[in-house]
Amino acid sequence: MALFAKKKNTETVPAEAQAAKQLPAGNIAPFKLELLITIVEKNKAEFYADLIQSFDVNFQFLTPARGTAKAEILDYLGLADSDKSVIFSVVRSDRLDDIVYMLGTKFRTVRGGKGVAVSVPFTSVIGSSVYAFLCNARSTVKGDE
Amino acid sequence: MSEKTYEMIFCIINAGYSETVMDAAREAGARGGTVIRARGTAGKEAEEVFKITVHPDKEVIMILVPKDIKDAVLEAIYKSAGMSTAGQGIAFSLPVNKTVGLQ
Repeated sequence: MALFAKKKNTETVPAEAQAAKQLPAGNIAPFKLELLITIVEKNKAEFYADLIQSFDVNFQFLTPARGTAKAEILDYLGLADSDKSVIFSVVRSDRLDDIVYMLGTKFRTVRGGKGVAVSVPFTSVIGSSVYAFLCNARSTVKGDE
Repeated sequence: MSEKTYEMIFCIINAGYSETVMDAAREAGARGGTVIRARGTAGKEAEEVFKITVHPDKEVIMILVPKDIKDAVLEAIYKSAGMSTAGQGIAFSLPVNKTVGLQ
């Protein structure tokens, strides 16, 4: 009975606060990072990069790419070309659900804004300052005082 | 957001052979892919030791596939565009956590 009561109490604590409490002292990597790969039409790349950046994302890079649909399919659909852009973004796992929800909504509603996004988990990062930059951990940066 | 499990196949191949890879992948059940241009960086010394010439112009092909057909797609790519072919391709897959926009 006592065990049950104790378990019930922990469930009322917000998940983030609970996770923070469980971290060992001196843990320098409290946030998991993932690489979000977003493939969109070339002319919508900046639009989506700006949207993703608004979710505490400090590092992104874009590269031109092309789809692999055959010429006859493009002609049949009335599409001019298959030029695309791939956006690689380093995102925090705890923000990923919000980003994916936002992207799903935009992919459905923005005209000519269809795309695909997948995320791949990071297993390691070199350098604590690089890590802090990637996960936007501003509290770890020393001030001027 | 999709609950089906997917994997992302990356195939690095000599420039000009992306259609070969995609034809093989489609036959194994893949729907489509995205091609990025890239540049290979194998060292000259390694090229001499292993007696291979690395074509610097490369293409990276990203193909998102359901996990259950991943092995079939990789095998098809290996057979049609592996290291023993003119495309000199290597391929690997990474697990993906979240996917969006596949419908």
